[in-house]
Amino acid sequence: MPLTLLNSDKAIPEREKHTYIKAGSENILPLSNVQTTPGDFTERGCTYAGCMGVVCGPIKDVIHLVHGPIGCAYWTWGGGTRQNLSDNPSFHGKYCFSTDMQEDNIIFGGEDKLYKSILEAHEEFPEASGVFVHSTCAIGLIGDDLGGVCKRAEQEIGIRVIPFNCEGFRGCSQSLGHHIANDTLFERVVGTKEPEELTDYDMNIIGDYNIQGDLWAIMPLFERMGIRILCTFTGNASVDEIAQAHRAKLNLMHCQRSTPYICNLMEEKYGIPVVKATLFGIEQTSKALRDVAAFFGLEDKAEEIIKEDVAQIAPKIEAYRSKFVGKRVFIYQGAPRAWHWINMFREFGVETIAAATTFGHEDDYAKICERVNDGALVIDNPNSLELEEILTDLKPDLFISGLKEKYLAYKLGVPFINGHAYEKGPYAAYSGFLNFARDVEKTLFAPVWGLIRRVNDA
Amino acid sequence: MRSVTINPAKICQPIGAMYALFGVHAAVPLVHGSQGCSAYPMRMFNRHFGEPVQVAVSSLGEDASVFGGKKNLVESIKNVIARRHPELIGVMTTCLSETIGDDIDGIISEGNYEDSKVVPIHTPSYVGSHVTGYDNALKALVTHLSEESEPANAKLNILPGMVNPGDVIEIKQMLDPMNISYSILSDISETLNAPLMLPKPPFPRGGSSVAELEDCANARGVIALCEHAGGSAAVYLKGKYGMAADTICPIGVANTDHFLDAVGDMTGAKIPYSLERERGRLIDAMVDVHMKTCGKRAAIFADPDIALALAEFVTELGMEPVIVSSSTASRKFLQKAKSVTDGEILNGRDLYELQRAVKDNEVDILFGNTKCTPIAKDEDVAFVRCGFPVYDRVGYHRYGFMGYHGGVYLTDLIANAILEWGERG
Repeated sequence: MPLTLLNSDKAIPEREKHTYIKAGSENILPLSNVQTTPGDFTERGCTYAGCMGVVCGPIKDVIHLVHGPIGCAYWTWGGGTRQNLSDNPSFHGKYCFSTDMQEDNIIFGGEDKLYKSILEAHEEFPEASGVFVHSTCAIGLIGDDLGGVCKRAEQEIGIRVIPFNCEGFRGCSQSLGHHIANDTLFERVVGTKEPEELTDYDMNIIGDYNIQGDLWAIMPLFERMGIRILCTFTGNASVDEIAQAHRAKLNLMHCQRSTPYICNLMEEKYGIPVVKATLFGIEQTSKALRDVAAFFGLEDKAEEIIKEDVAQIAPKIEAYRSKFVGKRVFIYQGAPRAWHWINMFREFGVETIAAATTFGHEDDYAKICERVNDGALVIDNPNSLELEEILTDLKPDLFISGLKEKYLAYKLGVPFINGHAYEKGPYAAYSGFLNFARDVEKTLFAPVWGLIRRVNDA
Repeated sequence: MRSVTINPAKICQPIGAMYALFGVHAAVPLVHGSQGCSAYPMRMFNRHFGEPVQVAVSSLGEDASVFGGKKNLVESIKNVIARRHPELIGVMTTCLSETIGDDIDGIISEGNYEDSKVVPIHTPSYVGSHVTGYDNALKALVTHLSEESEPANAKLNILPGMVNPGDVIEIKQMLDPMNISYSILSDISETLNAPLMLPKPPFPRGGSSVAELEDCANARGVIALCEHAGGSAAVYLKGKYGMAADTICPIGVANTDHFLDAVGDMTGAKIPYSLERERGRLIDAMVDVHMKTCGKRAAIFADPDIALALAEFVTELGMEPVIVSSSTASRKFLQKAKSVTDGEILNGRDLYELQRAVKDNEVDILFGNTKCTPIAKDEDVAFVRCGFPVYDRVGYHRYGFMGYHGGVYLTDLIANAILEWGERG
């Protein structure tokens, strides 16, 4: 079966191009990274979400000032529903800054209010290392000179003031926002500071946002190998760490949708090679350690760590496997985790029967299609009606998605894991894998599912 | 006053309009804007109510932002109707579509929607707040849908405002024993507190029906529980159809007394003994804890009408409302706040300012939503969660503060917050 049209899509046949049932003999990918069908109940977000919400928001020591009406700032306050932890919680995520543009600002321009807002925010929080200004939809239309205002303010307050032109309407999804954030951070921050000292084992971890402390599970693995993490982009990052990222010997790229741009730019300009990694599950984490070790010539160390850590968790994972084997999962994530997790679930004996992404590109779908079995449904930018149809008709044992889909799954009686913000993470690396397994077990076998009744309306 | 907002007290208009639409049965909110304007508010509803919500968006992109969003809007309405067959679509604008200047009223009036009503709602994010958005949505619904028909009926329209499902239930439980006929517009009591029973219905059960909205023209009276969120619709109904109108937020003893008196005046119904008993139970609960509540200094942050009513209730508990803070700036709030407190009034100021005020005023107990939790921790004050959004604890949407029975719940929450705070030492 090639491309297919779900029942809920009869009125919007263009969705067929996005909906593929995998067959081994074919070389088809669902259409991706294009404008959403208007009014189709998409789950997608906007360019601002990709820039401020995903990539910039985790940077822990700058004032993230949102230039626009109040809503956009409110949504990303404290990371919004994301759980980007940092070691600076008394500032990072605690405060939310907005120019709160009013009607007269929209009519007469918001430059004065922006300028004053930058100065005042700096005055209240002089310890912040910079001000990032994120512009939202209306700003892109009224034509405020963001660059000019930021430059003036920077001269006045003497710390970085960087504009991000990430108006929500620019892209077809969050994806363009990732790109804008990457480009801006590369142009304006990377290479502007030299590290105090360099070692031969300096590495950046690019594209990990420290969701519920993922990085704190990942970093020790590399540090025990003798590697120094120069910069984490952008989970728990300070702006200075990003500024000196250009001196790393290697970029380890985790999220391969939101950060290939900066990895490519750093490779071109500074010659930093890239190792792409998946840091979920035993096999993939071990492979990442081996790939990095091979680059630095630390193979023996890596094998020691792998042996030691895997020995600790393998029996427990095996016990989980015996409970999970034969279950069927539907994975719907932003993009890379949809394919990162197919293999992770396979370690449990859990088959991915459907996989979807919100803003994946062709390369994401190629990886998904490589990993799933024939007959699996692969769907791009699924809307809520399609999700309900898939959950109802395919009856997966588990749905792993984000908050917006969580209560839909619950209302349909489908066990669910929040893969965006996690239930109780971290989920990355070896120790995180156990957390993940524990949460999967909880939801799969919660007694409450057995208490649900089928009741016809009175 | 600062130009920069630090820790906003308000959200923008579209989420308020969605809130109103979710209380209409088989209604779909359709946001004319960019995709963040649907995705982000949905998450806030998910967090507060623990319910799925569905919002359509016209997905304006760069082309639409330059050339206008008409094509996207027309296609969106068509797609929503074809796939969902809703009774109502509320098309709400955003800062984007308002700045582009799309004429949504004109665009909508050109279409033929068969069984679905399509109502334009103007919710530019750069004016007012979520409260304004709710108010604009409800006014748009009654303006576009209400239809006078003979003869007028004996119904009462109750406009609850941006309150919790639990509040609406409290209101119903007071009105039902009075044997009067009423419509709650809009009614989220079931739609945003839905049971898990399979099969899942295509739209949540409950909610006001479009027929009720049409019929609201023929009622004998209207009571808006929140003047800032529903008040404009009440004014419209009064002006257009000449029905009696009143505004009372029934939180606390006196406010609930007034509410029931107003209901009695409009309908001729007597207050039944069962409600007198409930009133007695509230008084009993208040007496039981008055040694804990009397003399406590309270800071209250909420939407304007709720903040004012809470200030009156804490005064009945012998507390002193030393700070009364509204999410949304309003002249009416400012006027009324002066009559309920001699303390500090924050009229639409941000929560950074609220924290400053809490520091300055030797506050014992703070009332506010989840965004206030860090203030309560930093300043080491007792904390009562109220308003929207509350997502760092579960279940707050299920219970109401309104009416005598809701007052008992609130009294207990307050006393327990004070006890817990005392135990922390």
